[in-house]
Amino acid sequence: MLPNLLIYVTIDRRSTVVYNEQIKESIKALILDQTFYYKTILPKPNILAQHLNVDLKFTKIAYDQLIQERYIRKVENDNYEVAYFELTNYFFDRNVAIYDAIIALGLTPSIKCVEKKVISLTLDEQNYMGFKPIEDNQYFYINRLYLGNQQPIMILENYLPMHIFPDIDKHFIGDEPLNAYLDHHYNIRANVSHRITQAVNLTATLSKYLNERKNASSICSTNRVYDENQILIDFGRSHTISSYYFQALISKKEITDYYKSR
Amino acid sequence: MDYIFVNKTLKIPIYKQIAFSIIKAIEKGDLIFNDKLPTEKEICQTFTISPTVVKMAYDFLIVEGKIKRIKGKGTYVTNRAPYKCPLHEFYQVDRILSDETNNFERQVILIDYIDDEFSAYRMLKLNKGEHCFVFTRIIKNNRNPVLLQKIYLPEKYFPKIDGFDLSTHRLFDLLGNKQTHPIDHLHNTFSPINATSAEALLLNIQPDDAIYFVRTQLIGEQNQVLGYITNYFPGEFTEFEVMVHAA
Repeated sequence: MLPNLLIYVTIDRRSTVVYNEQIKESIKALILDQTFYYKTILPKPNILAQHLNVDLKFTKIAYDQLIQERYIRKVENDNYEVAYFELTNYFFDRNVAIYDAIIALGLTPSIKCVEKKVISLTLDEQNYMGFKPIEDNQYFYINRLYLGNQQPIMILENYLPMHIFPDIDKHFIGDEPLNAYLDHHYNIRANVSHRITQAVNLTATLSKYLNERKNASSICSTNRVYDENQILIDFGRSHTISSYYFQALISKKEITDYYKSR
Repeated sequence: MDYIFVNKTLKIPIYKQIAFSIIKAIEKGDLIFNDKLPTEKEICQTFTISPTVVKMAYDFLIVEGKIKRIKGKGTYVTNRAPYKCPLHEFYQVDRILSDETNNFERQVILIDYIDDEFSAYRMLKLNKGEHCFVFTRIIKNNRNPVLLQKIYLPEKYFPKIDGFDLSTHRLFDLLGNKQTHPIDHLHNTFSPINATSAEALLLNIQPDDAIYFVRTQLIGEQNQVLGYITNYFPGEFTEFEVMVHAA
């Protein structure tokens, strides 16, 4: 813990807002504007209480609420560290692999294969995913967990048609980045990914993988990946509890055009 | 329950047959938002199948966002008129909705004039004591709340907005009209959060339901923060859509 972190957390004794709420909001704001970065160790509740000259119960309540809202987590030696981080541009701007997005956070990425198998899909399922339905079909199913410094960041399942990727089940180990593998071994490139994202509550199974409580909110992204010939080569679905940053460039032109059109 | 069809002579797993029967009933409109589904026990008895199979079917539909379990009440159809919003235009959601439907409204529930609020003031780079207008409004589509917004506009950038009606106008009307500080771009952070009881009440969802929480800073040409908006999109029926091209 850096001792000077204490000076950032402030309260207003004249305010009508209770101290624990003020402490919580103060720390939350410092996390959101990244003064307190991911993995920063916070002052212990008793040290902060002493510094602010308030009862220990207020800092304890504030820390408990911040844990519940996933901004911080308790780690060894009764320390509290910042758990909040934002993935950059992963979903939207460029087709940046999650692997690279984890590196951009300053973390060491790794992939753990949870499950891989060859399956056959019903016609309804293929339709639903966007594949051209084939009666006699085989798909390679993989479910993988992406980790940063061994902490789960995202779980991602993929369905790959085996008539496009023959024998993929025999060679693809599961811990290597997928797009690079498909490009290298099949000379098929992911050209465009159609993504639909939604906020959903985690099921019991997903919550175990992501080390979260059941029903915790997550961002679910359904991805349909097309090659250069606009053929659907991969249906994937990911869940993450991470936030992500996105810069929208609305130009003055957009506003000007709006007024011109009126 | 007549919308469920099971044929045990097929090779298709029974849980998939049940799940897709329900999906088709939702797509056809035979099942609509808030319809209660049969209990797992009722399906087991009717079709003489094991509870595990029904549970698998319901779990599949929950992951697909088609249904949800409400503790102590039952299982319900969730997707009320899901709408897809192009992500690059998410801040224009009220324009997109108002173009698509006649049954669209913006309802302002609070107008406030503040001189401090820790998180928002930090995002706005305002000092305590500087004044800021705050509008809280709900955007509804076919009477369903689709967005809860809290809009912070510092008085120093928007000195004469107390008479401005955000229930009849888009935010852009305000930002573009007579503005002295044009917006250059938006900084956004998208986060998954769980609804508090107050947010759930305003958005007509259940407490703890997933919300897409988007924090937006309006950035001016001199890189100053002109405004700050917190957006709460109910997760179950808000979808952001985007095409991402290879690098």
